[in-house]
Amino acid sequence: MSQSTPRHFVSEEPFDPYSVEKLSKNQESLYLASQWRLMWWKLKKHRLALISGFILLLFYLVAALAEWFAPYDLHTRTRFIHAPPQAIHLFHEGKFIGPFVYGYNFKLDMNTLKREFSPDENKIQPIRFFCSGDSYRFWGLLESRFHFVCPSAETLKYDPGIDSLNPTPTYSFISKSQAGELFLLGTDRLGRDLLSRIIYGSRISLTIGLVGIAVSFFLGMVIGGLAGYFGGWVDALVQRLIEVLRSFPEIPLWMALSAVLPVTWSPLLIFLGITIILALLDWTGLARAVRSKLMALREEDYCTAAQLMGAKPGRIIGRHLLPGFMSHLIASASLSIPGMILGETALSFLGLGLRPPITSWGVLLNEAQNINVVALYPWLMLPVVPVIVIILAFNFFGDGLRDAADPYKN
Amino acid sequence: MNSRVLAIFGLVAGLIGSITVVNAEAPLIAERVSAGDLPPEAQRLPLSPLKIDLPALGQTIGQQGGEIEILMASSKDTRMLTVYGYSRLVGFNPELELQNDIALAVDIEEGRRFTFHLRPGHRWSNGKPFTSEDFRYFWEDIANNEMLSPFGLPEDLLVNGSPPRVDIIDRHTIRYEWPAPNPLFLPSLAGARPLYIYAPAHYLKQFHGKYVDPEKLEAMVDEAGVRNWAGLHTRYGHQYKFDNPNLPTLQPWRCITSAPSERFIFERNPYFHRVDSHGQQLPYLDRIIVNIASSGLIPAKTGAGESGLQARYLRLDNYPFLKEGEKRNNFVVRLWKMGIGSQIAIYPNLNANDSEWQTLLRDVRFRRALSLGIDRTEINDVIYFGIVNESANTVLPQSPLFEHGYANAWSTYDPDKANALLDEIGLTARNKENLRLLPSGRPLKIVVHSAGESTEQTDVMELIHDTWLNLGLKIFTKPSQREVFRERLYSGEALMSIWTGLDNGLPTSNSPPTDLAPTNQTQPQWPVWGQFFETGGQTGQAPDLPEVKALVALLRQWRRAPDHAERTEAWREMLKIHAEQVFSIGTVNSVPQPIVIDARLRNVPDEGIYAWAPGAYFGMYRPDTFWLEQ
Repeated sequence: MSQSTPRHFVSEEPFDPYSVEKLSKNQESLYLASQWRLMWWKLKKHRLALISGFILLLFYLVAALAEWFAPYDLHTRTRFIHAPPQAIHLFHEGKFIGPFVYGYNFKLDMNTLKREFSPDENKIQPIRFFCSGDSYRFWGLLESRFHFVCPSAETLKYDPGIDSLNPTPTYSFISKSQAGELFLLGTDRLGRDLLSRIIYGSRISLTIGLVGIAVSFFLGMVIGGLAGYFGGWVDALVQRLIEVLRSFPEIPLWMALSAVLPVTWSPLLIFLGITIILALLDWTGLARAVRSKLMALREEDYCTAAQLMGAKPGRIIGRHLLPGFMSHLIASASLSIPGMILGETALSFLGLGLRPPITSWGVLLNEAQNINVVALYPWLMLPVVPVIVIILAFNFFGDGLRDAADPYKN
Repeated sequence: MNSRVLAIFGLVAGLIGSITVVNAEAPLIAERVSAGDLPPEAQRLPLSPLKIDLPALGQTIGQQGGEIEILMASSKDTRMLTVYGYSRLVGFNPELELQNDIALAVDIEEGRRFTFHLRPGHRWSNGKPFTSEDFRYFWEDIANNEMLSPFGLPEDLLVNGSPPRVDIIDRHTIRYEWPAPNPLFLPSLAGARPLYIYAPAHYLKQFHGKYVDPEKLEAMVDEAGVRNWAGLHTRYGHQYKFDNPNLPTLQPWRCITSAPSERFIFERNPYFHRVDSHGQQLPYLDRIIVNIASSGLIPAKTGAGESGLQARYLRLDNYPFLKEGEKRNNFVVRLWKMGIGSQIAIYPNLNANDSEWQTLLRDVRFRRALSLGIDRTEINDVIYFGIVNESANTVLPQSPLFEHGYANAWSTYDPDKANALLDEIGLTARNKENLRLLPSGRPLKIVVHSAGESTEQTDVMELIHDTWLNLGLKIFTKPSQREVFRERLYSGEALMSIWTGLDNGLPTSNSPPTDLAPTNQTQPQWPVWGQFFETGGQTGQAPDLPEVKALVALLRQWRRAPDHAERTEAWREMLKIHAEQVFSIGTVNSVPQPIVIDARLRNVPDEGIYAWAPGAYFGMYRPDTFWLEQ
């Protein structure tokens, strides 16, 4: 037997792991992509979810910049009570003028005691853009008068200029001091612009969902995580607590809790209180999902490895176990936001949640629940439209997210 | 086939028609009379029935028969038929004068001796005679029975604490006599919820421990599940509530449905004591059917034509909606005036617990400033279509006691003057929200409690909130339930509350001015003082504000006053104190009340006063004379 030394050598050439199977550029980026990137690609293909996401973004933008988008301040009262929505026109008698509304003719019918408004074609009120209107404190901090749209500052009478000597159409002022109106969705019983109120209301109605979910998410993950990881008596305790909480009839509990909130609290505190009430009842479902998931995951080898390396439970749960199904959690959260929004709307509709002067969609709908509105002022029921739109958008978006959360599925 | 049915139908109709003509009996009871179940009309009426001369009142003579449906919000509201029926010993007419009704005559001597003469032959709705025995039974066996009246006699039967002497003179004559005048007596008998001084003895004796042997009574008590026979007697003997179909009544209609039900049928009382000028027995309407619906739905149902006579639960802002349904559903809508002193009044609680606030609320300058800080014209324009009367909380212009000074006192919008008054009190320090500060440094934030019964209150408070902010004080309106509201008030926790103004905005000098002085715990401006007088000094506290003491003295003076002039004097003095002291802050009054009337219903006045006291809502206009044109 001759002893031969094996031939060892180190190749000088750069190592190409894909020398056998070449990856295309696309494949490469797919395999190298992070989980989030994969989700995003998947989501992009889901048209409905994408559109819904866009709508949500728009709503939140409007809510964040409510002071700019709303033509009036939240509490501005005008003398136009129960005025119907105005239509936006571009042409007057065939001549292009730009976006404008016709002013109202107002008459109180003494026979029926009905306030009757009709568009007055002589009163042309061009809508102003990027303009100065009602003053407000932006986010309660900065005093400003800037709005994207404002009612006309003056009422004009349009002269088509048929005179051959003066062929250019002219406007003449009817009244320079009398500012115009802009009630695209009409006004309520105190003469407040409904559009502005819906916009301001969205701030409360949309954020109550986010804040509520944040709180209930935190509670659900911590409590569910502990129950799932430790099992035993911790789990038993948490499960019984959840059962007790779930067995409460919800509406009476809301009633009791919201009656506890002191009336002198500022609107913000009340708002927070309601959010926390909603959140305190809402974490149970999530906690159960987290628990069952953790029960399965804690038996995995990598978990045992982490334990053997001396990691503390907090680190194991937070660092190793939760990220394993974070995408699922996010999808389920986005599906439960609409529940929160509906919860607030329902509470306020029943007169248990937010109260005027705080304005949310639920409060607006509460004010619309009587026979007069249905019969005479149907536009006051319009706040129901954004509620439906936002709930649908959240549901479609959540659906898309859930599909996207599992990128290797197909 | 069809023609034969028609022929039979026609025959029956003709038969009934001919009976009606011959006997002039109401269609509903004609058959019972001909079957012998009921005696004919002549034997059912008293010998001298109360004849109502309709043409003299500007009304038409109608025909008997027909029924209307009305809507109420709870089965407790069957008591409203006692109010609408308005059959009383004496009753108010639309000119607010007292007239004999059940009583044939009342002799009054020195304002302290009242002799009632009953109508011979007058019968209860079951045909049993109505006599002085029913008065005796009430006086001896109810009012002076410790088990049935554990708290003693009703307040209105006492003069300076002493009870009347009651003499049963004969079968048709009773005398009540006090040592001093009792001006409250007759108005109480004519009240919407009247003081009853009679009871159907023949019926109620079966529940009374004095008349029935205890064993038999025991069985009935057990069966009814009440504590003792007094409970039994009270349960079946409620004349006001109309909750026992077997209890005989003197009202024009009697309830024939027992609760619980969603539909209560009231049928004409065949022994009713009034007739029209042709001698037809009243009421004209055979039946009134009361349907129960949730109060929020009543405007909608009324607008859909489901009520033949409705005012309760309708509000001025329903008017445009109702007016739209007028043609389609064959009814008419009228606007009557409401009789309360102020549609919505704000009451500073002079008995508030918080001593710093109490001092401030008792400062007349503060109350005046608050009143001056309300823009009543705005409230009128925004909420009431600009058609109501801006006024302090006082009597209405239609009352003979009205003076412009009362209505205008401190009730015109003047923020500068109001701010000057607040500065004068010393509330000059302000915080960064620009709210004035109390001496202790707390900002002027007031929770205004309301019983949460109408959005109208919330709307008005929203307007007031804005104008009061200019005075440097901020209010929060807290709606709650009526019981909670009262509780907060009694305990002194509430600093301010919202309630309606004076109940009786149309008083004459004979109406008791009890609303104007502390007499009752429910008075939101001085619940503790009111409790003191209500309980005869046993609980609560005596008033310590000189102006309120003066009101108490004036109320006594009114009670003792022998004649009209002195009573007027006391009334005016009290109204003046209220106007000057602003114990309650009024907003607007004379708010129209929409009245929906079936288009076929006659004799309902086009204009009227819709008031609980005096008037008993429709009662004063005698609903028994309303008739349906076929």
